[in-house]
This record gives sequence, structure tokens and C-alpha cells, in this order.
Amino acid sequence: MDKMILSKNDLSKLIEELLKKNKVYGPVKSDDTVLFEEIKKPTELYLDYLNSEVPPKALMLHQTETLFKFIPGPKGKIEPVDMDEKKVIFGIRPCDAKSFAILDHVFEGDFDDPYFITKRKNTILIGLSCSTPGTNCFCTSFDDSPAASKYVDILLTDIGNNYYVEVISDLGKQVTKAAGKLFKSATESDTKKKKDAEKKAIDMISRTQKTDKIVEKLDKIFENRFWKDVAFKCLGCGTCTYLCPTCHCFDIQDESTLTKGARIRVWDNCMNPEYTIHASGYNPRPARANRVRNRIYHKYNYYPKNFDVIACVGCGRCIDLCPVNIDIIDVVTKAGEVKP
Amino acid sequence: MVDEKELREAVEKTVKRDDVKYVVGYEKGTYGFQVTPCFAYKSEDADKFIFSPLCVHNLAVFPMLEEKPPLRRGEEPDKRKVGVVVKGCDSRAIVQIIQEKGLDREKVVILGIPCTGVVDPKKLEAKFPGKTKNAEIKDDNDKFAITIDGKTSKIAKDELMPDKCKTCEYPTPVLYDILIGKEIKGSKKENYKEIESFEKKSLKDKWQYWEKQFEKCIRCYACRNSCPLCYCKECMVDQLDPQWVRRSVDVSENTAWNLLRAFHLAGRCIGCGQCERVCPMDIPLMKLNKKIEKEIKEMFKYTAGVNAEEKPLLAMFKPDDPEDFIL
Repeated sequence: MDKMILSKNDLSKLIEELLKKNKVYGPVKSDDTVLFEEIKKPTELYLDYLNSEVPPKALMLHQTETLFKFIPGPKGKIEPVDMDEKKVIFGIRPCDAKSFAILDHVFEGDFDDPYFITKRKNTILIGLSCSTPGTNCFCTSFDDSPAASKYVDILLTDIGNNYYVEVISDLGKQVTKAAGKLFKSATESDTKKKKDAEKKAIDMISRTQKTDKIVEKLDKIFENRFWKDVAFKCLGCGTCTYLCPTCHCFDIQDESTLTKGARIRVWDNCMNPEYTIHASGYNPRPARANRVRNRIYHKYNYYPKNFDVIACVGCGRCIDLCPVNIDIIDVVTKAGEVKP
Repeated sequence: MVDEKELREAVEKTVKRDDVKYVVGYEKGTYGFQVTPCFAYKSEDADKFIFSPLCVHNLAVFPMLEEKPPLRRGEEPDKRKVGVVVKGCDSRAIVQIIQEKGLDREKVVILGIPCTGVVDPKKLEAKFPGKTKNAEIKDDNDKFAITIDGKTSKIAKDELMPDKCKTCEYPTPVLYDILIGKEIKGSKKENYKEIESFEKKSLKDKWQYWEKQFEKCIRCYACRNSCPLCYCKECMVDQLDPQWVRRSVDVSENTAWNLLRAFHLAGRCIGCGQCERVCPMDIPLMKLNKKIEKEIKEMFKYTAGVNAEEKPLLAMFKPDDPEDFIL
């Protein structure tokens, strides 16, 4: 891993360099909403943000993704979509970057998903450490840090006048090589500054989720009344799932007119009653309690069983925006304390 | 300000009744300023009930969210009532649903709270960002007394109140079984100032404005699910055959969704502002609802959710109804 520094004044030069060969996406503020959007010039970036409203998973797994286009009818034909776009996601938070690593397990495995994998391969992640984590941030509950470098190609950490630059992967090396003049080697004092910044951020995280032996504990309380109590105030909207960086369920539909159409993939969410409804009319998860429980089990039981990782990164979005304060830190911690 | 002791006594008394299943009210949430809906099944549960300017949720949605799972053979349906704690605006939702015969008056016990205005959580967050520790708000006449980690500051209500409270005509619930505290006479008037200034914009500007708003929509349907008046068994947007609104999330389908919903609430929306409160993308949905409310008030002299005996607007005909909008 190369350790370097980049002067804050040179940041725009780096972005301009990146814009030459790639599409660059980064946090952009419009009204009060921060979203990851394509930028055309460095000034569009808004780096003083906590978390984007919609997670950058939307760039890997589009909310509406065209799988292919077609012309319907006997003379119809299929037209594939172009997937070779090279892009850079700039300013992604370590937690959101981790979500990509978590999603990899689903989209590459027994059956590779070309749409996700191609995007993933063609994307360079330039992360930006969190210096002031929010109220409901809890990435440290999963032994991660607001300045974790392992999920990105390059990680920038604010250390005053400079960014401390950690180059993690070969893709990252290509970037620093191409813009070699902008980077200087880091001194030991720079490394210390990064560590201090990281510690300061970690100390600001005030909430902890207790996930010790959570897989085994959840195994024992599937039928417990606890879930009914948790879910009773749930309104059944899709805010928690759509804004979750690791929720990845989708629905596939053909949308067409008489002359043209497309097969699309759209986000779906397990809080929706029709999500599991069978063609027969039978619904295995008829009540909100079944659905809320499923969301928790998927993240804290099924996923660790299958892939050895909890499918939550601790970004806090679902807690911040739940209309009725269903708080995943609280729910999971309390679930661990339920007597079977 | 509501006496919480009186509230808890009323909850306890209600939940003790044999014909009541549970009472839904408010309790302190898990962090910062959060307050969350809570349920009392037995009299001890009443102890956690609170009321403060942070009680922003419209709990009238809960009787409508009741799930009725299929009964086992020989099992009797639970016919007991649900107790609901309501503010003035929330009570109007219940009245409106009763008007529409969506809810039987006999099925609810209404615990009314005369309300002096709540805070807008988004305005509060902007003013005091990221408070994890104990934070509380109390009503102090024309100010909110905000206590964070033991320190109290007072802020003028107008600064933190949602727009709906600034023009609230019904601070005291219009329908209740038990009133907690003394009735408050409504002294404010809805003047539709914001709507009137928006109406003056050109068609192009208005369209641009809404296009930008609807582009943001992620179709989580939090607006629908938090709305007490959105109680269709199957929402038109979930229907697959015919599919009225496509699943594609783009500005065209999003516009269809948001406008269809606004029209489905015409003459029914009681202006509690839940849709706007819960929208994660901050779409100003009340602007749509208020515009329709204003038109209806002007044309038909009808206000939704004030009299349970009245017929709903779309279910009554008067020979002198205006017709100028019919082409």
C-alpha cells in the first residue's frame, strides 16, 4: 500500500485528470439533499457531507435498470445495452464502499450477474474518510472504522491542509501514476495525523449495536412475540430498504408499447405485502411482523450463515429516516437479550 | 400543555375496559429528540405514555393498518375497540374515515388532546444537528423550551412549527370520547398564502418546479403508508393487472404516482402533513394537497374531517354545485 499526500488545492486538478478518461460521480448537493450524481467539473462536488440520502449502491444496482431493449411482435428483435462505461465514484464513504463488497457475494457466485459485475469492474472507488460521523453511525460495531481503507481503491483522509492518500489496489495505483505530479510521499507525521483523525472520528461514534453471537441468538427466537411487538408500529413503507446500502432485492418487468419495449429491473422491498405473494394468492409473509423479522434475519442471520459477513454497514440511514423510529441498533441489541 | 398524569390515567382507564384491545399513543424514542408510537395492552403500559411537541405522528393510521389474518376454524374475530390518542388534526382524519364508512365510530375510543402546536422535525434537526443524548421539548406559551443535556433554551414557536400548525383552525379534537385537559379555541385561520403566491408563477415555472421535485421520488410509498386516508385494500400503484403506474422509477411515472395520489385525496385530505414529514426525499407534498383543499373550499364550501355526520364531498350532489370547470 502506497502512502502519499495530496494538497487540498490540487484536488480539483486530480478530478480534472479523472474526468479526461472516466465518468466521475460524486456527492452533489441540491436544496437540502445530497446524492451521488455525475459531475462535469470539480466545483460541483460537495464533500462536506455526512451520508448521501440515497446510498451509492444506486450506481451499481440502478433503481431502474434496463437489462435489454426489444421490439415486440413476430419480427421483433433484442437489442443489448452498452455496459462498458468507465467510471470513478469520488468521495464515497468507507461504509458505503463496504456495502459493495457485501453485495459482491450475491451478484458473483454460482450465477454471475453481468450488469453488476461489469459495473463493479469498470469502477474506481476513491473513498473519503468520515471525519464527523453522525448521530446514528455505528460502523464500529462491525469492527470497521470511519477511515477504513480496505473497501476502496484509494482512500483520502482530511488531515488539515492535505489529504492523506492510501493507495490500496492496482486500479488505485494507475490513478496515482497518471496524476503522479500531484502526489507527494507521506511523512511519518502525516501518518500520525491520519491516525489521530481516525481516532477522533471513532471517538465521536456514540452508539453501539451488540452483535455478539447474534446468528445463534436469532436462531432461537424466530417465533418469539418480540417480533410482533417490534413490528406493530411499522407502517410498511420502503424507506428502510430503499435507503439501505446492502438491501438488493429487485423485481423484473417488461415495459413496452406496441413498437418498442425494455426488460427492466427495479428495486423491490420486502416490506411490501406483494413481495412474497404467490400466484395462488397465498402469502408466506402475510403480516408486517413477518416482514420486519425477515429484514433483520436476512442481514443478521441468513447472510452471515451464507457469506460469513453481517449485511449491515452501520450507516444509520434506516434509523435516521424511519417515520416511526424503528431503530435497528435497538432492535438487534434487544433481540440478543430476548430469552428464547 | 397537557398534563401527562391525566393522559396516563385516561389511557389506563381505557385499556382496562373489557371491550378495548389496546391503546396507541406516544412514548420516548431511542435517541435524541425521537418520539415513537407505542401501544398499551394492560394498565401498567400506560406509564410510558407521554405527550410533548415532539408527538408529530398521526396515530389515526394505526386502526387502519390493523391486519386481519385469516381465522382458524372455530376462531372468533376480535371485535374489541382500539384506543387512539389524537391531536386536533389527527382527530379530523378519524372523522373523515368515519364519514367515508371506512371505520365504524363504535370501533374506536378517541383520547383527544388539545394541541398547542408541534415541532417540525426537519426544522429542529437543522437547528440542532445530531443530538444523541437526552433531549426534550416542552411547550411554553408562544415558545418551545428545548432542553439538551440539561441546558434549556427557548425558541419562538413560529421558527420551529410546521406550516400546518401556523394556520391550524382545529387545535382541539373535533371528535373525542375523553378530552385530556381543557379545550383550546382555534384562533388561527388558514389563508393559503403560500399557495396563492405559487399560483402566480407561470405554467412553465410550476412544471419545472414539480419536475425537479418528482425526479427525486424513490417511490418508497412512505407518503401513502403514513397517511390515515390512504387505506385502500389494494393501492392502484400495486396493482399488476391492469398496471396503472409502471414500476420504472423515472420522472414520468413518479409524476403519475404523486399526482394520482393527490387527486385520490381530493376532498379527503385533512392536512395533517404526515406525507411531507415522512418523505425521505423532502418532496413538498402538502403544496399539492393544500392547493386541492383550497379549490374545494372555494367551490363547494366543504372542509374535510370536521363533522362525522356529514357526507363526504364526492358522495354528495347539490343542484347549485359550480359547473364552470366542466368543459
